[in-house]
Amino acid sequence: MVITISLLINLFLSFLVQKQDGQVYTITGNAQGTTYQITYLQNDEVVVKNQVDSILNKIDSSLSLYKTYSLINQFNKSDSGCEVDAHLIDVVKKSIATYEKTEGVFDITIKPLVQAWGFGVQAVKSIPDSSEILALRKCMGSKMLILNKNILQKSNSCVQIDCNGIAQGYSVDVLSNFLEKNNIQNYLVELGGEIRVKGKNSKNKQWTIGIERPADGADFLPDQQKIYINKGAVTTSGSYRQWRIEGSKKLTHIIDPRTGFPVENELISVTVIAHDAMSADALDNSLMVMGLKRSFDFLSNMKEVEAFFVYTTDDGLIADTATKGFYKFLN
Amino acid sequence: MKRRTFIKNSGWLAGGITLSNSFRSFGIMNDHQKINIGIIGCGDRGKGIMSVMKDLKNIFNVVAICDVLDFRFTEAKKLMPGSNLRSYTDYRQLLDDKNIDAVVNATPLYLHFQISSDALKAGKHIYHEKTMAFTIEESLSFIKLVESKPRQVFQVGHQYRSVPLYGRVKEMIEKDYLGKVTQIDCRWDRNSSWRRPVPDPKLERQINWRMYKAYSGGLTAELLSHQIDFINWAFKSTPETIIGTGGIDYYKDGRETFDNVQVVLRYSEGMIGNFGATCGNSREGYIFKIKGTKGTVELTVNEGFYFPESKTRKELETVDGVTGATKIEWTKEGGIPVLKEKSKDGTWYALKEFYDCIQSKKLPSSNVYTGAKTAIIVKLANESMYQNEIHKWKPEYNIVKK
Repeated sequence: MVITISLLINLFLSFLVQKQDGQVYTITGNAQGTTYQITYLQNDEVVVKNQVDSILNKIDSSLSLYKTYSLINQFNKSDSGCEVDAHLIDVVKKSIATYEKTEGVFDITIKPLVQAWGFGVQAVKSIPDSSEILALRKCMGSKMLILNKNILQKSNSCVQIDCNGIAQGYSVDVLSNFLEKNNIQNYLVELGGEIRVKGKNSKNKQWTIGIERPADGADFLPDQQKIYINKGAVTTSGSYRQWRIEGSKKLTHIIDPRTGFPVENELISVTVIAHDAMSADALDNSLMVMGLKRSFDFLSNMKEVEAFFVYTTDDGLIADTATKGFYKFLN
Repeated sequence: MKRRTFIKNSGWLAGGITLSNSFRSFGIMNDHQKINIGIIGCGDRGKGIMSVMKDLKNIFNVVAICDVLDFRFTEAKKLMPGSNLRSYTDYRQLLDDKNIDAVVNATPLYLHFQISSDALKAGKHIYHEKTMAFTIEESLSFIKLVESKPRQVFQVGHQYRSVPLYGRVKEMIEKDYLGKVTQIDCRWDRNSSWRRPVPDPKLERQINWRMYKAYSGGLTAELLSHQIDFINWAFKSTPETIIGTGGIDYYKDGRETFDNVQVVLRYSEGMIGNFGATCGNSREGYIFKIKGTKGTVELTVNEGFYFPESKTRKELETVDGVTGATKIEWTKEGGIPVLKEKSKDGTWYALKEFYDCIQSKKLPSSNVYTGAKTAIIVKLANESMYQNEIHKWKPEYNIVKK
């Protein structure tokens, strides 16, 4: 009898363990000109690829500059603004808040400049001169955006917005929320290198995220800084993947909205850890523009945001540094 | 180049040759000038090099060919229709042609030394096919001769040294991705006779020179030498013990060189290289595996894959996601591609290097010093299999650039 009970207990326990571990489900696909990967642990396949693709399509219809019919393109073409959906409302609200917090370093009204520098949807024949930039900057400034319930207005008809600096992070949040609504407590969502996680991975450990340290380029496998995290978002902005050679100059795709010119500072990449991916994504771009010293000053006033920087030293070597709180993610 | 084109266009061809001779003699050339090439030996290899040079026509200009067999001229000229190739049956006449900057020596092994010695003396740069020399004496004499002509480039056709894929593998070995390497497995197998068709029985020995010990080092020299040379390069080493075995095991057709060979090389750092070739099975064809405590590299002719050992694999798989980083892409078989793209034919890279070395007067990565060591190993391996003896590497073979 004792044996039978202990057997039953064992069976029950093993059932519990199985219940807790669940199955690992992975969904991968293409969206927003990049790839995505979702890994979650659950007993049943409660979220499938079709659902994910449908959510991402909906976001594209709202935020993508590459879809002619998207709401963002309708807004950009309009003289005074238009009705927008919940996706655009969320993104614009967050963008305006970040614009204010960063004193104009993050600004979605940058679209005419991004286009002029040749990093927009259309190709360009030449790079803009100072007078063109001055003219374009008259159409810039998130203060010219007014959100009134579901109507997004512009105070100058030439104002156009580009949410690419925040859209991927936002998408990651939308997908994460969708997983949580389906009672998934252990997941990793990644889209274009922007990540959000919760809980534990299949080895019942914290999620491990690799951040590339662009070393000498000769390495067969990339040199990765590993971080361990059980809740929150990790995103990266870098100047080493997207750039263009113009004459003898290497232009990065990161443009300083305050000057109108591509950023030239020591930063190669910035990785931000924050509560949600949209916040992290908006910040990583802002920090890339600010440069190393201003980034540290800026972050010293922020709670629950950490950052890891890869930069070029005065001697031309590649080095990395991070905020104090970042180091606790290394173990 | 412009100068010559102008003169040709003016119809003063003879004058043009004289004029350009003064610029061309003894390897003095204008910057970025096309190299005028003479091909000596228009068998399969010579023609193969010609067709690669056709792809590199912005840097090479094949102007002359030489072979002792007439029908080879027709074959070679077909490769370059419309070109005005001069043909020679005596290589010495080709060497006298002052308009030729460099020659390709793609002749049978027993002729390598004589022809390239004469070419060096004639002031030519040389792309010299492997194996560099037939005997140990020739290998050592080559060094003195090449050293006496410091302005001329002498590159040996162990082309792996020029191929980025193999360069990356060397780097992986140096950076310890493989851990301690103990075993190397190479094969170069086929299920065919390795003979070339002979239109007239009198030409048998000339066309099928690879079958005869007086002319050829057999499968060891023609095939295995590539991987043997790569291991020398990648591990900065030479074997201390050389063992060879083999026989005429299937094609008992009058050949003298073996149709089935195995060479075992033991290196002082504790590593065994197995280099084999048979004419009696094609299942594996070409294999090249370098096996270490952390992982294996498997190479095909134009691709390479890294297979980490299970412990290494676990370390690599600890990342669940990457931000601002490159994801590791695994193949179905559990490998990671060494390079993202397939390589071109190795000769293409080797000839590019040859051109660069002529322009910059650099020592090629496959040079007389490295070529001599590989030629000595090939010779000792063949002696081992013919005489049934084990050979030891001697200190006098450790030739280095002064």
